[in-house]
Amino acid sequence: MVTLSINNINVEVPEGTTVLEAAKKVGINIPTLCHFEGKKPLGACRVCLVEIEGGRALAASCSTPVAHGMKVFTNTKRARSARKTVVELLLSEHNGECKTCDRNNDCELQNLAYQMGIEDIRLKGEVAKPHIDKSTPALVRDNGKCIKCRRCVTVCNEVQAVGALFPQGRGFSSMISPAFMSDLETVACVQCGQCAAVCPVGAISERSHIDDVWKALDDPTKMVIVQTAPAIRAALGECFGYEPGTLVTGKMVTALKQLGFDKVFDTNFTADLTIIEEGTELLMRLKDKIVNGKKVALPQFTSCSPGWINFVEYFYPEYTENLSTCKSPQQMFGALAKTYYAEMLCKDIDEIVVVSVMPCTAKKFECQREEMNASGIQDVDYVLTTRELAKMIKQAGIDFTSLPDSKMDSPLGLSSGAADIFANTGGVMEAAIRTVYEIVTGRELPLENLHVEPLMGLDGVKTATLKIEGTQPDWSFLEGVELKVAVAHGLSNARKLFKSIENGEEYHFVEVMTCPGGCIGGGGQPRFTDDSVRQKRLAAIYAEDEGKELRKSHENPDIKRLYERYLGKPLGETSHHLLHTHYKKKEIFK
Amino acid sequence: MIKAEKIKSIEELRKIGDAVRNENLKIGNEIADIILVCAGGGCIASGSLMVKAAIQKELEEHGIQDKVLLVETGCLGPCSRGPVIVTAKDKIFYQGVSPDDAKDIVEKHLIKGEILEHLCWKDEATDKPIPVITDIDFFRRQVKIVLRNCGEINPLSIEEYIGKDGYLALAKVVTEHSPEYVINEMKKSGLRGRGGAGFPTWLKWSFAQNSKSDVKYMLCNADEGDPGAYMDRSILEGDPHSVIEGMAIGAYAIGASQGYVYVRAEYPLAVERLQIAIDRARECGILGKNIFGSNFSFDIEIRMGSGAFVCGEETALIHSIEGKRGEPRPRPPFPAEKGLWDKPSVLNNVETYANVPVILLKGGDWFAQFGTEKSKGTKVFALAGAINNSGLVEVPIGTPLGELIYDIGNGIPNDKKFKAAQIGGPSGGCVPKQHLNVPLDYESLNELGAIMGSGGLIVMDEDTCMVDVAKFFLEFVQDESCGKCVPCRVGTKRMLEILERITEKKGQEGDIELLIELGEQIRDTSLCGLGQTAPNPVLSTIRHFRHEYESHILKRHCEAGVCRGLVRAPCQSACPAGVDIPGFVSLIGERRYAEALRLHRERNPFAAVCARVCFHTCEDKCRRATLDAPVSIRALKRFMVDQEITIQLPEVRENEKNAKTKIAIIGAGPAGLSCAYFLARLGYRPHVFESELRPGGMLVQTIPAYRLPRETLAREIRMIENMGVDILTGKKLGIDFTLSDLIEDGYKAVFLAIGNEGSINLDIKGSDAKGVTTAMEFLRTYNLRGSVPVGKNVVIVGGGNAAFDAARSAIRLGAEKVSVIYRRSQDEMPAYVEEIDEALQEGITLMPLTNPEEILTENGKVVGMKCTPMKLGDFDRSGRRRPIKEDRTFVVECDQVILAVGQAIENPEIFEKIKLKMNNNENIIVDPVTQQTSIPWLFAGGDVAVVGNSDRTVIEAIAAGERAAVGIDTYITGEFNAFWREEKPNDTLFDPDADPAPYPRVKMPLLSVDRRRNNFNEVEQSYTEAEAIRQAKRCLRCDYGH
Repeated sequence: MVTLSINNINVEVPEGTTVLEAAKKVGINIPTLCHFEGKKPLGACRVCLVEIEGGRALAASCSTPVAHGMKVFTNTKRARSARKTVVELLLSEHNGECKTCDRNNDCELQNLAYQMGIEDIRLKGEVAKPHIDKSTPALVRDNGKCIKCRRCVTVCNEVQAVGALFPQGRGFSSMISPAFMSDLETVACVQCGQCAAVCPVGAISERSHIDDVWKALDDPTKMVIVQTAPAIRAALGECFGYEPGTLVTGKMVTALKQLGFDKVFDTNFTADLTIIEEGTELLMRLKDKIVNGKKVALPQFTSCSPGWINFVEYFYPEYTENLSTCKSPQQMFGALAKTYYAEMLCKDIDEIVVVSVMPCTAKKFECQREEMNASGIQDVDYVLTTRELAKMIKQAGIDFTSLPDSKMDSPLGLSSGAADIFANTGGVMEAAIRTVYEIVTGRELPLENLHVEPLMGLDGVKTATLKIEGTQPDWSFLEGVELKVAVAHGLSNARKLFKSIENGEEYHFVEVMTCPGGCIGGGGQPRFTDDSVRQKRLAAIYAEDEGKELRKSHENPDIKRLYERYLGKPLGETSHHLLHTHYKKKEIFK
Repeated sequence: MIKAEKIKSIEELRKIGDAVRNENLKIGNEIADIILVCAGGGCIASGSLMVKAAIQKELEEHGIQDKVLLVETGCLGPCSRGPVIVTAKDKIFYQGVSPDDAKDIVEKHLIKGEILEHLCWKDEATDKPIPVITDIDFFRRQVKIVLRNCGEINPLSIEEYIGKDGYLALAKVVTEHSPEYVINEMKKSGLRGRGGAGFPTWLKWSFAQNSKSDVKYMLCNADEGDPGAYMDRSILEGDPHSVIEGMAIGAYAIGASQGYVYVRAEYPLAVERLQIAIDRARECGILGKNIFGSNFSFDIEIRMGSGAFVCGEETALIHSIEGKRGEPRPRPPFPAEKGLWDKPSVLNNVETYANVPVILLKGGDWFAQFGTEKSKGTKVFALAGAINNSGLVEVPIGTPLGELIYDIGNGIPNDKKFKAAQIGGPSGGCVPKQHLNVPLDYESLNELGAIMGSGGLIVMDEDTCMVDVAKFFLEFVQDESCGKCVPCRVGTKRMLEILERITEKKGQEGDIELLIELGEQIRDTSLCGLGQTAPNPVLSTIRHFRHEYESHILKRHCEAGVCRGLVRAPCQSACPAGVDIPGFVSLIGERRYAEALRLHRERNPFAAVCARVCFHTCEDKCRRATLDAPVSIRALKRFMVDQEITIQLPEVRENEKNAKTKIAIIGAGPAGLSCAYFLARLGYRPHVFESELRPGGMLVQTIPAYRLPRETLAREIRMIENMGVDILTGKKLGIDFTLSDLIEDGYKAVFLAIGNEGSINLDIKGSDAKGVTTAMEFLRTYNLRGSVPVGKNVVIVGGGNAAFDAARSAIRLGAEKVSVIYRRSQDEMPAYVEEIDEALQEGITLMPLTNPEEILTENGKVVGMKCTPMKLGDFDRSGRRRPIKEDRTFVVECDQVILAVGQAIENPEIFEKIKLKMNNNENIIVDPVTQQTSIPWLFAGGDVAVVGNSDRTVIEAIAAGERAAVGIDTYITGEFNAFWREEKPNDTLFDPDADPAPYPRVKMPLLSVDRRRNNFNEVEQSYTEAEAIRQAKRCLRCDYGH
């Protein structure tokens, strides 16, 4: 342990702690822009400068390790005026108008300027050149607003291991962009939107569908139905001042109805459906291997997370066969909405507009994939992120906090707790195990609260083994088999998992979620998401699951009805047509 | 020739060394000579390889190719004189050798043994050739440790290196000593990092030695990026093995087995030679496993960088070697702990490593005898810029800057004045002339706001604008900033923008303060050394040359005549009065004399006076000088004024209100009359009060008629009177009237231009004797009364124009012998060159470097002057060498002593109770733009209120008068009405594509000495018309297109 004083307050912290962390411990908040939880300090933004007694220049608290007897002062005139100058310089470079910015009132730079009492910009000069990159369906980047804090670079390279964004050029004209200062479309961007989630200003955001959705809502000839992903309900409240992890499912449904959506459904419904299809697919692969001796691609990979799909298609194309052919719940919903549900209502599919509310920017990309038109036209029309939905609610003047609760509509609204946990890392796997185990053994999963403990939490790669005993006659070939599964979240962890697979580790089923924490930490979730926020959202989702009567996907009566009336059987022909897809290898360089 | 192969032990190494030296001896006996041809980058660029080929061909033609060895060596140093060669036998140095000289070199030098004088170095003072290299100051005054082998051996030959005891230190270290021994010797040597920061090398090594790791790295920084610095390149090109050996010794000390040299790809020759050296070292077993039979293994690879300045920063360099973007990261952890691939690493620069083998061979104590207490050894400097001997030099640390520039660098070309030296490149700062004595060591330079840096030393002369220099360096760092941290990326950009606006006539009040504030913040907040030092050039130029910034911002004037936005033509910019010189010169060229004169008088009424007495700073800045010699601007002016028959009045804007506003001008010298002239042009009718009976001030009182005929002056004064100016003579301030009287009489503003009529007395024994007078008194008495007592044997003390005016007047008034004694050298005499030349023609004796000690008297009368001869010592604050007394004296016999050592306000009490702000020179402090004093209604100008560091000249006084006129008008009306300041385009013809007119500069004709020595007739005569037109056509028309 190291003892030091910060603003004359003594503090004891472990060796290797930074001054920034030590200060936090004694309630002193040092501002920072480039700091990234858990990653090597960059020292780029210089907003966290403090004075250390005896030091020649000021020190960046994010990168300065504590030392015995160190005397740190965070509030001297020298430190304050240096930080102020740094923020002034950033403002002078920043090519944006707060009033019309997407991040107005939600901008870290704006906040800093306010906190530091900057009232005019003395250092006027050339501003960063605007270049608006709208080349991808999911994201919009504006170099003019970029303040080069490099959080996006850190998240893209170190958390996601995708490497689409880098610093380029030198001096004032340096910028953060894909290689050769080109647009995102030209590189292997998986469109996860983690860059947009960590951007402190309005330089990277999701591509807005708000106007399109308003247009559809305003069109009396359209029936507009909305599906909401499981992760929304645990995060949307944050946009209205609720603590992270506050469940607002009921208010959300009411708000959506007030916005004018004709039907409010739940992506959870198709999450349950996914478990049936994907679980069956896994069992079929196992059967093909063990009974029929066929060469099948194992482990089977989950396919709910479109960023992850992109990642495999770009970087591990030899593994596309391993991906489950199941569409994601969003796309299953879209396909059913424009077939099953449209037929039920006797509506022309052109009259139906399907809107998704997703914690994800890649979903905007996914809905536009050419494979995603089982109904004959684009199955899901628009995707709103959690942040966009909150904006629409505000635009409509709805006082969210005082809304009463409502329930999801039928018949695509009912879901089990297994579907809820799709939002969390490890959740799809747990949901699948609950169902598969019961199908194979005829018994409920013998774990406390039905949770697969080793698959929960924020560890990067999690594994579990489940021995199958006492099988039903149909599944006797699985008797005594040790089912090995693995879960990864954050694509850098996916790379680790690939490495262990390549090193000979054998798994049967692997879940990968693109974003850290799973969908609850998605690129479209309210800012700012760190591990403490992720933990709270995870807990909320598990609470939602535990509070439900239905805990297992195969018990969902509406799903059973769907098979009876429409799909026939899992992996049947209709299923195959509506609910399954295929993947392609993509070139990294275009 | 000996070829070294696998060397397995120190004994084998010694044998090869002996064999190489024996072979050299043998060559000495059997072979006529060895010619060392410099193949440094500079000499190759100027054609040394062609010279070598030509010599080779000549040798073959004469059949002596086997008797003479031609060897390509590394850089010898004097790069601007390339190609250079040295003969090994007699050590004859030839410079500027061309292939055409090959025949002479072979036939005359080698065969006949003649020295080719035209290729020799010439002594600056005597122009005599200095053939032997060791006699040349440039080489003689250097101490070569780092560059010990450069220019002496073939860099491609490991054998020659071994012949110079190369690798012996490494062999000893790895076979006989412990790593601790190495670090201890390094500690004793006191070697500090030559990359710039000067961190003790031994300490860095011992940190890395103490870091626990199985893998460590030894890194060499050869990413030399400072503009003007190329010592690292030269070492790699000239003696690559010394770097390899230094790295290997360091690697042994810290326990590293792999080294990398990070060198920029722009240094292909260095890379090539280093690679050959590494390969040869490997072949000889000096790199690789079990070096010299020891347990120590070490190898080196080259990593090429693409030339980013920031990659000289250690963490950025390490990133670049790792294949990442070359960007710094925060420290700690320091590389000694976590460096390349997070392993302990030592990074030193090329020059540091090149020192190491010598230190280990001769011992740390030997090395520590060079340099200063805190900084040991030598430092290589790259002299560049305005210096006669540009090139690479190595001197002991602590050598004074002035010695480097003047004794080794041989001073500034073209008789220009030294202004400052930029040391340490873009991270450094400038050292102005006041500090020429600064010892070149880390601490002393830091104190002045400069740094040692890599040793780039750019010399700047008076034609350099310091704001422009700061802008240049800031542009450089802004281009080279990696963009990672905010202060460096944005802050330097903002500073650059401020500098840009200052140089583009858009400077604002407060800009200097903003630059300082930003600069200090950037220094305090940036991530790495690049950003932390980026503001240095700006802060240091502000510190030493703040007045230049002020002049750019407040006066919209660039003193050096460099900044395009402020300078229409350098001559016009150099003229304190801002006369449109290209305009009037080109009008003369078109025979439009009246228009030319009218244009001149737009800014300066005293055309005819200035044609005679102006210091012509315009000519000093004339760009024609870069072709041959400046345009004869003053002589052309003389021709122009001689064409005027009746004086024409300038444009006067009548103004009833102004005519009624009473303005007083005190003093009818050039400042006062100029002020009156410009006020009159605005419709005022000012009153000029003059204490003497004749107007003209110094022009009439002290400048002799042979320089300025009285009628010439009178005509221009009459012109001013004709514009409505009243000159009231015989009215002396303090006696006939007071300042309060004027205010009581309703004067709204007063311009004080009373000059410095008093003389400074020389406080030596005998100065109160009979026969001692001052130049002022002497000249004034003669000029106003018509006669003055003159001795037969006159001694004048001083070196200014007043001294020469007195001397030449004394000759004319019958003195038989006139001697001018001056304590500094003749070059430093402030009088202008024409006047000194003419005085010499008239038989006046100059006694420079002579200090007056005592005036010897008999019966109260002067009989002689006791003097001490002086010699030049170190540099004083004015950048001149300080004269120091020799310990002997001599006596100059004389019967009159005239002191011309300075002037002062005669009687400060005249200001009565008015509390004027004065500076310690008894000079009134005024606003440099308006000439306003601390009292709003009182303005001052001329010698009584010299602004900044301007000279006390006629033209400065005229300019001050004009500024005061504008200042007074603005004070009274609140408006800016100076219509004459508006720049008008010149309608004279100019063909920008034509070649410059080929005529040489022609001096003004002078009256012959016997026709002028006994009278006061004007000495200078006018050009003929044809000559004047030719001379006018010499103008390059810098104003064109502006």
